[in-house]
Amino acid sequence: MSADLAKVLPMNARSKPKIVAKGIQKSFGNVLAMEDVTLSIQEREFVAIIGPSGCGKSTFLYLIAGFEKPSGGELTINGNAITGPGPDRGVVFQEFVLFPWLTVLRNITLGLDIQGVKREEAEARALKWIRLTGLSGFENAYPSTLSGGMKQRVAIARALTYDPEVLLLDEPFGALDVQTKNYMIRDLQDLWQEANRTIVMITHSVSEAVHMADRVVVLSSRPSRVIADVRIDVPHPRDRRNPTMHRYEDEITAILSAEVDKAMSLERQIR
Amino acid sequence: MSAADLAGAKPLSGERAGALLRNIITRSGVIVTLLMLWEVAARLGWINTFLFPAPSNIAATIWTQSGPDGSPPYAMPMHVLRSMIRLLAGIALAVVIGTVLGVLIGMTRWARMLFQPLISIFMPVPTLAWTPVLLLLTGIDDRTTIIVVFIAAVFEVIYTIVAGIEMMNVKLFWVARSMGASRLQIFFRVIIPAIFPYLITGMRLGTGYAWRALIAAEMLAASSFGLGFMIYDASEYMSTNVIYAGIILIAVLGYLLENVLIGRLEAATTEKWGIQSER
Repeated sequence: MSADLAKVLPMNARSKPKIVAKGIQKSFGNVLAMEDVTLSIQEREFVAIIGPSGCGKSTFLYLIAGFEKPSGGELTINGNAITGPGPDRGVVFQEFVLFPWLTVLRNITLGLDIQGVKREEAEARALKWIRLTGLSGFENAYPSTLSGGMKQRVAIARALTYDPEVLLLDEPFGALDVQTKNYMIRDLQDLWQEANRTIVMITHSVSEAVHMADRVVVLSSRPSRVIADVRIDVPHPRDRRNPTMHRYEDEITAILSAEVDKAMSLERQIR
Repeated sequence: MSAADLAGAKPLSGERAGALLRNIITRSGVIVTLLMLWEVAARLGWINTFLFPAPSNIAATIWTQSGPDGSPPYAMPMHVLRSMIRLLAGIALAVVIGTVLGVLIGMTRWARMLFQPLISIFMPVPTLAWTPVLLLLTGIDDRTTIIVVFIAAVFEVIYTIVAGIEMMNVKLFWVARSMGASRLQIFFRVIIPAIFPYLITGMRLGTGYAWRALIAAEMLAASSFGLGFMIYDASEYMSTNVIYAGIILIAVLGYLLENVLIGRLEAATTEKWGIQSER
């Protein structure tokens, strides 16, 4: 594992580490969810984190977001320890978590509004992301009238508008149907190019991860560790039919299935 | 896709409005029929008109008492106005204090430890039982009746607000905090709107209880005006017309308060946000 890390660090010479996790542990009561997660994420890197269900991938994202605190280890952003949530990290949830009492526009400007940015300026900045996420014409709609894909666009635009350095995506396409999902994946790739941010995405879909990310990090089942860290060396924009991508998918699927098998057989033994 | 959703929502609400209208007509039909039977029975002398004066007689009493010939002049609107002021003042107090207490109990361990037992003990006490104590404390005064309204409504408000906080998605706080919201900003911009549907339910229930408690308290603790006082006063003079006028006004106003006033508030907020359909 530490060999993986050493291999990754010098390769990305254009940037410096943005988020560094060293020996992160997390327990909930008596349950040890995370044993030793060590990971370094570079500036402007798109990292996908994948693992068997229940392995604590979302928990790891919440630790970076500052919603939860690690039980042990060191977690830093720009070299400073993470002590709580902050506007330098924008979060997008699987269930969107929009404010139902605010229109699309007000949901998106809320972050700037809270930070005391003037209304006209906030709206101007929001409109840019409304346009880029394809929400034009829906500014005054309430979230309950939108489809799932539209809601997810609002959540992404909301996170991007207050200009966080890091975008944290918690299974952002999990609640969407396949067609919408494929659209959103393409859109998010364009947005990433436009936004030029560091992105950490939690997912359970290997093809999603390989298709979008620079690096795919595989976590073990509970208590989780990093068991693989694969750099996807295919330039963007990527074509689904590219055979190199299929090789990456097969490689990661193999690692993941082995881990799932191990977890399942362990579970059976305990029972 | 969502444009179709939007278009689809219109005829549905029209259908609902139509069903509501039919419902209202059927219900008021029952009441109108009953009133007509009563009128006929009273006129034909089938029932004792001292105990059950004809509806037309009661209506005439309401009419005269509402005008300059009432005793005192314009008595009826004065009684209604005074009761309404007491009710609204008490409800406003209950909403503000109940919301703050409810949020504290829902969100902090110390408030839960402190207030939960007190609320469990005092909630079952009929509000009217406080009236003698309040009379001694404040005298025959609007304050007594306003506090009665407050006590009658505040428990419902607290209960529904605590339920609302418990139902709240913790991720709404997370999103606000990751935007850099302060505690005060989270209170006013996240918690208050998120619990608003519950606050409306609490207000609806609380207003119902408070209205009944107020009328009863006015019989004990009002010196000159208020619908409860009016009925109590009329019973001294055996004016059954006025007593029935009071009862009818209490029923109609209670209905309007619970359904029209709070229904309007609901339509302007939670229905517009589509919250019920999203839950």
